[in-house]
Amino acid sequence: MNKPIYVSILLVAVSLGLMLTLQYRTTSSVEQGVAYGREQELTVEKLQLEKELAHLLDESTDLSAKLEEAGKGYSEAAVAFESELSKIKLYAGLVPVEGPGVEVVLENLPDSTPDRSPKLISIKDYDLLHVVNELRGAGAEAIAINNQRLLATSEIRLAGNHIVVNMVNISAPYRVIAIGNATTLKSSLVIKGGPAEILNERGIAVNVTIKEKILIPAFTGGLRFDYATTT
Amino acid sequence: MWLGLWLAVLGLGVGIMVGLNIPLILPHAYAKYLSVAALAALDSVLGGIRAAMEDHFDNEIFISGFFSNALLAAGLAFIGERLGIDLYLAAVVAFGVRLFNNIAIIRRHLLKK
Repeated sequence: MNKPIYVSILLVAVSLGLMLTLQYRTTSSVEQGVAYGREQELTVEKLQLEKELAHLLDESTDLSAKLEEAGKGYSEAAVAFESELSKIKLYAGLVPVEGPGVEVVLENLPDSTPDRSPKLISIKDYDLLHVVNELRGAGAEAIAINNQRLLATSEIRLAGNHIVVNMVNISAPYRVIAIGNATTLKSSLVIKGGPAEILNERGIAVNVTIKEKILIPAFTGGLRFDYATTT
Repeated sequence: MWLGLWLAVLGLGVGIMVGLNIPLILPHAYAKYLSVAALAALDSVLGGIRAAMEDHFDNEIFISGFFSNALLAAGLAFIGERLGIDLYLAAVVAFGVRLFNNIAIIRRHLLKK
């Protein structure tokens, strides 16, 4: 009768001690972990952060859409730059162009009179300059002499028996081609007192022909700006 | 009677030693259930002592009450947690009241002697 009582007392005592100490240890270990109230606090914070995250994700998609649009704008700008660049190249004479215009061929007349020395009748640089100047004054948009495209920096100068254009020696016959309003160009040359007449008087044949389509090559030399910089 | 007391003290000591040296710490989530279970167990033990003093101690009632109260308290706390009701508070209050009741009665019995 007494035996089971002692067994049960022992069992109960052991389990009670076990429970109490386990509980004690768990409670004292809690301080290293997370307090109970803190858990709820953190849960609330987490919810808040999740809300915030969703909000930020929304914002992110919005911004990336905007960025994409901006990228589109950028490519449009690139296209605009491209067209601007080609336009500027066209103005600068770095691309071949074609269009209506005139062809002017200047040639020394054959020596009919022996008393005229070839030097006298030979075409000089200023003759070409005169022609080119008149063409420019008549609105020529592109000019080339013997396929040397004239740029803003091109020179036409006499060097010995040759004329140098774009650092290239050219010699007679000189073929000046210009694109522009053909009739205006031609009349500017053949007008009374114009370069054609003056040159003719000096024994130089000036042959101006209107052409429907003239191909003027691009400038082929190198461009260097050592001193000038943009401001 | 004295053997029972010594056995109880010995058992408690063994339980405390084991509990302190066992390399197991309950996760904090279960600490609440264990606390309610420990409270119920404490109440049962005090109830047993009171019954012994009133001379109607029943071993079966004692042992079954000890374990069923502990498990029921922990289970109630668990279910309450799942349902969002703080049932463990009810267990704490109920067992706490009974605990004090038992202590008061034990005290009276001791004083009457």
